[in-house]
Amino acid sequence: MLTDKYGKEIDEILSRYPVKRSALIPLLYLAQREQGYVTEAAMKEIAQLLKLTPPQVYETVTFYTVLNLKPVGKFHMQVCKSLMCALAGSDTVIGWIKTKLGIAPGESTPDGLFTLSAVECLASCGTAPMMQINDDYYEQLTEQKVEKILGDLRTTGTSDLKSGPYMWPLPVAVKGEK
Amino acid sequence: MPDTTKSTVRLTIDGTPISVPKGTLVIEAARRVGVMIPHFCYHPKLKPDANCRMCLVEIEKMPKLQTACSTQADEGMSVRTATTVVNDAHKSVLEFILANHPLDCPVCDQGGRCDLQDFSHQYTATTSRFVETKRIFQKNYFSPLIETQMNRCVQCLRCVRYCDEVMDVKALAPAGRGTMTEIKHFGTHALDCEFCGGCVQICPVGAITSRLSMYEYRPWMLKRADTICGYCGDGCQITVQTKEQELIEVNSTYGAGRNNGDLCARGFFGFHAAKHPERLTHPLIRRNGALVQTTWEEALEFVADQAGKIKATHGGQSFGGLISGRCTNEELYLFQKFMRVVIGTNDIDSSARYGHLNGMQAMRRVQGTHRWTVSFDDIAAADVLLLVGTNITESNPITGLRVKEAVKKRGATLVTIEALEPSIEAISNIANLSLHHFCVPAPRIGSAVLGLLKALVEQNLAQPDLARQQPAYVRAVTEALGQISWQDVQAVAGGDAAAYAAAAKVLAGGQRVVVLAGQSLLRSPDGHSGSLNLLDLLLLIGKLDQPGCGFAPLSEENNDQGAVEMGAAAEFLPGPFDVTDQESRSRIAAFWKAEPPQQGGASLVEMLDRAEAGLLKAMFIVGENPVGSLPAQVGAKESLRKLDLLVCQELFLTETAALAHVVLPVASSTEKNGTFTNTEGHVQAVRPAIEPVGESRPDWEVFVALSYLMGTPLEYAESRDILKEIRSLIPGYGSLGPAPMPPQVNRSAIDRYLADGYRHDLAARYRLGATAARPDGIVQLELVQSLFHSGKLSTRSRGLMEVEGSGALRVNPQDAARFALKDGDRVRLSNVRGEMTTTVTIRARVPQGTAWFPDHFGQTAAHLFECTIDPVTRTPSIRATAVSMMKVA
Amino acid sequence: MPKHELLLLKNMSQPGYTGSLAEYEATGGYQALRATLGKTAPADVTAAVRKSGLRGRGGAGFPTGVKWGFLPKDYQGPRYLCCNADESEPGTFKDRQLMERDPHQVLEGILLACYAIGAESAYIYIRGEMVLGSKILERAIGEARAAGYIGKSILGTGTNVDVWVHRGAGAYICGEETALLESLEGKRGLPRIKPPFPATHGLYNKPTVVNNVETLANLPHILTRGAEWFAAIGSPPKSTGTRVFCVSGHVQRPGNYEVPMGVTFRELVYEHAGGMRSDKPIKAFIPGGASAPFLTPSHLDVKLDFESVAAAGSMLGSGGVTVMEEGTSMVWAALRLMEFFYHESCGKCSPCREGSSWLVQTMRRIMAKRGRMQDLETLSDLCKNIAGRTVCAFGDAEVAPIQSTLKYWREEYVSLIREAEAADLIMPETVGARRES
Ligand SMILES: Cc1cc2nc3c(=O)[nH]c(=O)nc-3n(C[C@H](O)[C@H](O)[C@H](O)COP(=O)(O)O)c2cc1C
Ligand code: SF4
Ligand code: FES
Repeated sequence: MLTDKYGKEIDEILSRYPVKRSALIPLLYLAQREQGYVTEAAMKEIAQLLKLTPPQVYETVTFYTVLNLKPVGKFHMQVCKSLMCALAGSDTVIGWIKTKLGIAPGESTPDGLFTLSAVECLASCGTAPMMQINDDYYEQLTEQKVEKILGDLRTTGTSDLKSGPYMWPLPVAVKGEK
Repeated sequence: MPDTTKSTVRLTIDGTPISVPKGTLVIEAARRVGVMIPHFCYHPKLKPDANCRMCLVEIEKMPKLQTACSTQADEGMSVRTATTVVNDAHKSVLEFILANHPLDCPVCDQGGRCDLQDFSHQYTATTSRFVETKRIFQKNYFSPLIETQMNRCVQCLRCVRYCDEVMDVKALAPAGRGTMTEIKHFGTHALDCEFCGGCVQICPVGAITSRLSMYEYRPWMLKRADTICGYCGDGCQITVQTKEQELIEVNSTYGAGRNNGDLCARGFFGFHAAKHPERLTHPLIRRNGALVQTTWEEALEFVADQAGKIKATHGGQSFGGLISGRCTNEELYLFQKFMRVVIGTNDIDSSARYGHLNGMQAMRRVQGTHRWTVSFDDIAAADVLLLVGTNITESNPITGLRVKEAVKKRGATLVTIEALEPSIEAISNIANLSLHHFCVPAPRIGSAVLGLLKALVEQNLAQPDLARQQPAYVRAVTEALGQISWQDVQAVAGGDAAAYAAAAKVLAGGQRVVVLAGQSLLRSPDGHSGSLNLLDLLLLIGKLDQPGCGFAPLSEENNDQGAVEMGAAAEFLPGPFDVTDQESRSRIAAFWKAEPPQQGGASLVEMLDRAEAGLLKAMFIVGENPVGSLPAQVGAKESLRKLDLLVCQELFLTETAALAHVVLPVASSTEKNGTFTNTEGHVQAVRPAIEPVGESRPDWEVFVALSYLMGTPLEYAESRDILKEIRSLIPGYGSLGPAPMPPQVNRSAIDRYLADGYRHDLAARYRLGATAARPDGIVQLELVQSLFHSGKLSTRSRGLMEVEGSGALRVNPQDAARFALKDGDRVRLSNVRGEMTTTVTIRARVPQGTAWFPDHFGQTAAHLFECTIDPVTRTPSIRATAVSMMKVA
Repeated sequence: MPKHELLLLKNMSQPGYTGSLAEYEATGGYQALRATLGKTAPADVTAAVRKSGLRGRGGAGFPTGVKWGFLPKDYQGPRYLCCNADESEPGTFKDRQLMERDPHQVLEGILLACYAIGAESAYIYIRGEMVLGSKILERAIGEARAAGYIGKSILGTGTNVDVWVHRGAGAYICGEETALLESLEGKRGLPRIKPPFPATHGLYNKPTVVNNVETLANLPHILTRGAEWFAAIGSPPKSTGTRVFCVSGHVQRPGNYEVPMGVTFRELVYEHAGGMRSDKPIKAFIPGGASAPFLTPSHLDVKLDFESVAAAGSMLGSGGVTVMEEGTSMVWAALRLMEFFYHESCGKCSPCREGSSWLVQTMRRIMAKRGRMQDLETLSDLCKNIAGRTVCAFGDAEVAPIQSTLKYWREEYVSLIREAEAADLIMPETVGARRES
């Protein structure tokens, strides 16, 4: 039960809105954080918390791409394939990952570590090609970077190649790569 | 309602000028001048969503085409619906809608009455430019009664919107987005909902259909009969569709009937009962102790012969008659006339005795009417509604829709007192919409009403005028309430003084206040006094005689109201007039050319007692089953066994019919003509959809035949002849218009009541019920209405049995935890009167400490209850009892 | 070195600037708020914004002060401000930078707007994928709350404003203001029919203003330096101030560039973004995000202001400028965008829902060299039948790439179809023509 574990956080979320249903997406995020995807039990619990019917929760979940109804890999690699990234070679990036991990978009590695998705624009067109892995963005991808990111994730679960606060081009006084 | 609707605007539609009320949508304005603008997503019941874009029209001075379904008519507007631009737009939108639509009209149940099919014929060329792949949805099991064919869906969301906006059920989820949006329930789960059939009816194409009639017909092959649903007092108009004597499906039409196209599961899916294989098809007669098939001639002659002998020996007073409130007015009328004139007794009763009479008697006494002074429309237009003792969704679902409409669409404030916990479940819960809800155990609802009254007088919310004109009345009520302490109110009914005070404020502040009372009050020992007290409440706030305000006791059976008005009660002649009222007696005697019996008759339970005592020798029981529905304590079976003659007119061989000497098979309301009077007093025509099953005959024909054989002929050739007589005899039956004007309160009756009429029983009425201690292991068992059933007939309907096939005990989740129960476990209930074993289902709407058993599966539970009789209205109350509950393996 | 004065990007262009409260205050941050709250009447703030000529930076370019003026004057109940931080328009990435690099500038704008319209609650609806951005904003809100800029009686003036970050969950359509409101109410992000407009029936059916991040970030500058000052920047009277243009595609130095409105595309592309990335010349560009029709090199001297771009047959939109070099297939480019629109169509109204699936399938067929000549007519018919007939402006947006590429580069479609014909890969007539409806 989410309420047992996150009672306080749930109360805080509910306190932000004058109408309960507004807390739906925030609570779904909580559920997804807990299990990697939104389970049926979580949907029912959230429905009860917000005085909604389970179908009302379900219809909302299915509308949004960030919310998963099925388990995904530990690292969900989402490569932007929209035009702007495509102009900078995002199809190639997908190709690299395909060869390195042996998975096509929509597939997961057998060990459940990686899932690859091709997604639409993530607001990084200036630093294309890019991908998002779980919460983090990785930009201006090159084959070497992809290689390193995959390695880092496997070994440490994170990678220092992930982007910080966005700015491009960088302030002039600072030279070099970010 | 604000007065803005009064002002009108003038506009032209294709050059035709028209004035419409402000706020009217262009599509409706066009309809008024006979211009049908094509549409899919628009439905007058729903808020405009303008998603299909089919209804585009040109409006002068607007740069883009506008959707007629969401644009309000405005002064000086000039709308064009027939230009090339508009026509091209319609064509193109249709082309889009058809792009992904399969070409399966030949196998689609909607074929022949499909909006998409119709518009396609009107607009498109026969070839499509769409050469791409159509979207394909996997076929999924959706539910036992409702089927989806998502490939056909045009995504107008009418079903989803109806389920939410009108029903408040919210069971349908449009899942996914874009073209791949499909209507689902919850994940892969089968639909669980109220099964009102609204989604099936409102779908403009064949995407949602009824499984009961799948692939069985083409619409044009069906014969239609517009008639009235026989399952509850709401009296919905339905259209029964048949094919060669087979019942195929039931529909309702927007704009038609008191239900305006809405139905509940019983109305929509419950139509198969009439054709149940166990229907009685031949008369039965007892020979050597067993019932055997016989002919009508023999059966009727036997009955007439025996009855004649008994009458000769013991007199008319040795007969009793009991009739169901499910019969038509004509039958009810003729039955009491038969009993009174041919037999010569006032020992007549009907199912209205079980509770409806409590409300009616109270109305007669206080306001001098026997009908509601409000209509369904007044409920929808009310700004404050008080619901007492009614889980209205499950007992009177369509009246419930008007309450929902008032609250959801028009912002009315709802106050509810009922043994019902607010909850979100598959079945919508009226308490969810309520601003002040008092969850009170059913037997103590009357006490909560007192709490409300107490809060009212304590806050000086009584009408000042009333206090001035009738100081004695107000003082008496105030004093009586002063005797009650808040502590006691709280101990008996729960809820604190502040809660009652807040609710009382709301009631006193209302402009149009309607009070609805339901079975939990009407069938309780407080049924009569509680009704009177609610009328007091309306008097005190000065609303009883105001337009749009009033007291509305809900009838359970479809024709309880008619039963009393036809005089099928010991104390009433048709009208209803008191049997003792000389003026009415002479008027009726002149009409009948026969004098009604003098002596006041016996009510249902009294008749059984008289039979037990050997005073009653013969009974005619029409469609009632006292053995099945009364607690064993009453001893119905034993009493009836003592009769020399028991004649039952029935559809099925019930427990009571099984004791009869003669059982006569009669036609169901699907097979006959007549009228029903619904809970709001609206008289509506019942029409046959099929021929009577087997050799069954309408009940009234039996009475006529017997009257001939017994030598006092009642001469009627058809049902309509009886109606003619009713019309000339009974006020309110003169004209059967489509929208009845409810009667006005009788001012002099009110004055009589205020002057003196309230006095004699005030102290008794203004007394709290007893608090019941509830030791561990004990729960309060209540017989309740279920949305999916009503009476025994519904349990013969395969559609309804799919949804609820057996009586399960509903318990609250906390109690379930207390007794370590999960869904489907078995429990034993027992008290001094007996015991029973049943399965449990856990439902959040059941209040803690109570367990609900559905009334219509009640035979198994009846013997646990005891029966108390109201001293004034002689109503037996058998709804609640304490039992100990134990889990069994 | 930029040759124009920077407003919005000024702080963050200082090397080492982290966007903390202290740093923001050090550059004069929250002075506008101090100077305004309790000192200038809310109506005068609105008047100043109207006078500044500030127009929405979210896409539609509606004058901000005018929009605020639509709120009912005498309405007593709550009002809301929603900051549209959904930034999902392909080619646009400025709001992200504004929020992640200088969050207080956005917050100050939000607070000023709330003050002007009388809102006590503001929700920043940030797209769900921007986890970092939401964290940075939340931290900034915490700082501002602690410093008394957010909360009850801000700076002791009696003005209350609470600001919340609300994450979306992946749906482009939730950038459309009414879909945003639906989404914020916990529902599916389906645009509402208008009227009524959010100004009267917005969040929870209450008067509501929805403004873009960049729009709001301009407010502190307008209120400190004056409406007249602002109105003189750019290309007055209709396009005042600067804009942060997001340059992407085949240029040397893609990125965000803040320039006064009215500079030419040539200047933006060649001077700021460093020109083309290779020696291939420019072939096409999108001037205002994926929803804006493509333009050609002949439009390079069009000025970057609302009117000029509209006159050139496109729109300034969200400020996303995407440049494509010679050799880029325009059919492919349009298809990529069409795939985006197909994926993102919410499905509410039939022309957009069915049209996007039809268009994308036809485009894919043409691209896969299985097209037919009739397809071109079908494409332009479909585009015509979608535009202007949908619930929201998404319908107009989704046809822009196809219509404009068909207009300027029709021969590319034709030659793909010719190849199909030559290879005899044409779809058999029978598949389509004989379908009966
Ligand atoms: C399909 C669609 C997507 C939109 N996406 C965004 C967006 O991501 N961010 C944004 O600020 N405005 C977006 N808009 C514009 C908003 O509807 C709205 O005009 C804007 O938020 C108003 O703010 P402004 O007046 O400050 O520009 C979008 C509009 C449409 C039709
Ligand atoms: S059971 Fe009652 S509510 Fe349901 S359809 Fe019949 S009359 Fe209407
Ligand atoms: S009927 Fe008007 S848009 Fe559907």
